[in-house]
Amino acid sequence: METKMGVYICTGCGLGDALDIDALATVATGEYKAPVCRQHAFLCSAEGVGQIKADIEGEGVNALVIAACSLRVMTDVFDFGPDKVLERVNLREQVAWTHPANDEDTQMMAEDQLRMGLTKAKEMQPLEPFMAEDLSKRILVVGGGLAGMTAANEAAKAGYEVVLVEKSDQLGGYLKDVYKMASAQPPYDELSPNVLDTLAQEVTSRAGVKVYTNATIGEIAGAPCLFDVKIKQNGGEAAERAGAIIMATGAVPYDASKLENLGFGKHADVITAPQLEAMFKAGSVTRPSNGQPVGSAAFILCAGSRDPEHLPYCSAACCVESLKQAKYFKEANPETPVYVFYKDIRANGNYELLYKQLQKDGVFFVRGTVTSVEDDGAGSLVVSADDVLTRSPMMSESVDLIVLATGMVPTSALGEPFKAQAPKEGEEKAEVPADTILASNILNLQYRQGPELPALKYGYPDSHFVCFPYESRRTGIYPAGSVRAPMDYSRAVDDATGAALKAIQCVEMVSQGKALHPRAGDMSYPDFFMQRCTQCKRCTEECPFGAINEDEKGNPLPNPTRCRRCGVCMGACPERIISFKNYSVGMIGNAIKNINVPDEYDEKPRIIVLACENDAYPAIDMAGIRRLPFNAWVRFVPVRCLGSMNLVWIADALSKGIDGIMLLGCKHGDDYQCHFVKGSELANIRMTKIQETLDRLRLESDRVHLEQLSISEYKRIPEVLDAFAEKIQGMDPNPYKGF
Amino acid sequence: MEPKNVSLEMRDYIAEMGAETINWCMQCGLCTNLCPWRLVPGETSENFNIRHMQRLGQMGMEGFEEESVLFACSTCSMCQSNCPRGVKIVDNVRAMRASIVGGGMAPANLRPILGSAHANGNPWSGPREKRTDWQAGLDIPAFGPDTEYFLFVCCHSCYDPRSTKVAKSIATLLKAAGVSFGVIGNDESCCGESMRKLGDEELFQKLAQSNIELFNGKGVKKIITTSPHCLWTFKNEYPELGGEWEVIHYTDLLKQLVADGKLSFPKAAGKKVAFHDPCYLGRHSQVYDAPRQLLGSAAGGDAVELGRSREMSLCCAGGGGRIWAEVPMGERFGELRVTDALDKGAVMLTTACPYCLNMLTDACNSLGKQDELEITELSEILAAAL
Repeated sequence: METKMGVYICTGCGLGDALDIDALATVATGEYKAPVCRQHAFLCSAEGVGQIKADIEGEGVNALVIAACSLRVMTDVFDFGPDKVLERVNLREQVAWTHPANDEDTQMMAEDQLRMGLTKAKEMQPLEPFMAEDLSKRILVVGGGLAGMTAANEAAKAGYEVVLVEKSDQLGGYLKDVYKMASAQPPYDELSPNVLDTLAQEVTSRAGVKVYTNATIGEIAGAPCLFDVKIKQNGGEAAERAGAIIMATGAVPYDASKLENLGFGKHADVITAPQLEAMFKAGSVTRPSNGQPVGSAAFILCAGSRDPEHLPYCSAACCVESLKQAKYFKEANPETPVYVFYKDIRANGNYELLYKQLQKDGVFFVRGTVTSVEDDGAGSLVVSADDVLTRSPMMSESVDLIVLATGMVPTSALGEPFKAQAPKEGEEKAEVPADTILASNILNLQYRQGPELPALKYGYPDSHFVCFPYESRRTGIYPAGSVRAPMDYSRAVDDATGAALKAIQCVEMVSQGKALHPRAGDMSYPDFFMQRCTQCKRCTEECPFGAINEDEKGNPLPNPTRCRRCGVCMGACPERIISFKNYSVGMIGNAIKNINVPDEYDEKPRIIVLACENDAYPAIDMAGIRRLPFNAWVRFVPVRCLGSMNLVWIADALSKGIDGIMLLGCKHGDDYQCHFVKGSELANIRMTKIQETLDRLRLESDRVHLEQLSISEYKRIPEVLDAFAEKIQGMDPNPYKGF
Repeated sequence: MEPKNVSLEMRDYIAEMGAETINWCMQCGLCTNLCPWRLVPGETSENFNIRHMQRLGQMGMEGFEEESVLFACSTCSMCQSNCPRGVKIVDNVRAMRASIVGGGMAPANLRPILGSAHANGNPWSGPREKRTDWQAGLDIPAFGPDTEYFLFVCCHSCYDPRSTKVAKSIATLLKAAGVSFGVIGNDESCCGESMRKLGDEELFQKLAQSNIELFNGKGVKKIITTSPHCLWTFKNEYPELGGEWEVIHYTDLLKQLVADGKLSFPKAAGKKVAFHDPCYLGRHSQVYDAPRQLLGSAAGGDAVELGRSREMSLCCAGGGGRIWAEVPMGERFGELRVTDALDKGAVMLTTACPYCLNMLTDACNSLGKQDELEITELSEILAAAL
């Protein structure tokens, strides 16, 4: 495409007072021969934007460089459509607001930032959204329990077709054996009827919902809006195309046979909470040992939960479920002695009121560790515990029945670790640790990296519980309910509703060729220049979202609708064949090479900062908004993710004479904050390779530094940048200056 | 350690004795941390933990009956007023005591007190016929059919030589204001408030019945009490037994009289006076402003507020039967109260309860501060300013 560049420099917000705008304009019109270059005192005003639009119409300008505020603000104002190239140069937050006005170094910084923007804009191409054929907006829900039914119902209510696949012969999941539920309505201290029949009736009677029972997923191939699902049912197989997937396969109770210390398997009258629930449901609550009525009961909470020997985590629902079951006994006969042995009562939300009511009902709540469950010699059982609240061992009166509140094990954890293909002979071993994927036979994804969702701790699918709870590492697949995290009924309902919304968002965005979280709306996607591919598999292995499959020869087979547009593949590729139309290895490399590097006698070192657009870049903006000054030798290069950093940029920068390189990215590790899960971790792994480059150039390894920073740590920006600048100043200048 | 056994029977017995809310407690421990016992050192402070005591009651476990635990609480209501679950902690303490004392197991030091109340109608071993001795030389009217108010003088102010000055001052003030009041006299019995708090339910019922019959027989409609303890039990415990009267503490009545212009205090003393809120007037009965307004009009601008005051006032340690407890020096709440007053530069600490007067006086003496701080009852200041 023939590009005609228009450069627009804003002089508002203090820019005109701080910078020599005419000199900046000369950079655009002189060095870069921009045919159109204008200044405006209020560029984001209707008049300013009108001027740009007039140039687009009248002058045929189609590549716009807006030298004004941060690329994070005024995005709606400076939106001229995907067919125009747009580059934002941040002169406000990162230059004028953080550096002294009318200063030589400030001016040099502004000019370099502009040079980089101009270089990028010259090389960018307008975006063409990815549009495939036969895109489906149907939503597949796997699992027909409370969460699955709720998700199906909500999606159908919003007008989407739903395919609901349930393993057993009827809908309901855990609810099928539930007698009553803890009330989700005020005053919250009573029990309410099981919602199963009403909900199942509502779901099955909806026109847009197709239910498969006795069915499992044989295989899911494809990508968002292009998922090809094979459903195994009664020995046969059905095929469906789906746009997004909600995984709501729930949890199973922890195996009580491992809880012999609590008497299970040893005494017939020690049962599990689901067993008691079934008794009440069946209307016959008797002692398994002799069939006699139950005159007293004890509940042992956290049976196998919050226990390093069993499930280390809290199963979230058992406290309220046990309170509910205690209420069954008190409703039947208020005089029935009931004990609850607990570690902490975690009666979430309004269920504190149910807890309070059970206290008023006279239930004995014992806080502490159960030390033994023993026969009292007369056919009943006695529970001993170390009671925290009386600071002494205690012993219950004899009880007829003991109920263990066994915790939740997600169905996603029920499987052996999937082994990634072992490297063939002569191949290098993968440097990047593979994700934990358990072959739980739920989704059976035809993904190169494995058949199920990658798991974090305890076999739960990865999700960032604070920022983006529903996002798994597989685009368009949203776990919901107790398979995602331990939760109670009301949270599962909320969770399923949220997941339905995410699924809808997915099919809508993908069908417009747009990216999903976190680059929602982005219409760029990576292009692979296959002629130069060496089948090294780095892109297929490193993609945090399993977006790239592989053919038998090891050629990457990209699935653009699975892609989150982070550019990790671009950073990984040693051949630099992966590019976006507006973001590529060459483009950023050239931008860096266009920085004006003064020779060593000027004593003006140059530092480039590759800043993650998700956390680090906004943190620098925040420093600007707070007017926190920092060193003027730094030049900021925004990157989609630190994982998109290609090592060639480091070589480019050092051979250009840049003195130091800082990689400013998100925290990685167990509590990672990277929006692309593994980007900053991958950058860290690649850092170990930088050593080779530096050795080859005979440069100090300290010249390249990776710093982890979260968005809230903006106050650290000056300290981090100044300290690095000081270190660089302490070294000799980069000897490649002027080459 | 031997395991403690849970006893449903014991728990239910305690609940029956009046600990109706004992199961409501969620054991958060706010009570223990607010308890004035945390402010002093010593054996009782170490043994007595109100949360733990509630816990034992809740589980019907033994251990609460130990004397230094069971009788430590002064029922000041600091915990109860702040309990997030609305547990009636004072009732629970009373019920737990009753479950022991009711079985005839009152501690030795309390037996003469309870015995005197049984025999003489007062816990101070005072003969019935001397109940009105404090009236000497004052010409106090007897309560009759035309009398508006019945003035019920606390037994403490009938018999304790220091405390009789309170009765005299209040009577003087009422006369000065022209209030129609009278005293019934020797047939009156102790209100029984502290007896009930000590767990002697039977004795309380006996005293209350005797008073109700007497007062109703005399046609009593309105009662002025000198002590906040009598005020509280008349108002809160007598009605369900058949004693329904309009009951007012003398400070509330005097406040109205001043407002109506029937009483004034021309001879303000001009001393720096601090007011100590009695628990049964303040936290238990919500009377905070009346004594302050009276003190304001009698002491002018010289009244000072203590650091811990009103809802956060610190107990003198005289309630719940603790007035009869022997407490070593250095462990008395009253000593902290005396220090509070001295910290504010007060030369006089006044209150509106005979028990507080008694406890604060003892504390001031044990600290040897009697030359720096004078302990008075509010009515004495008011009467002197007439």
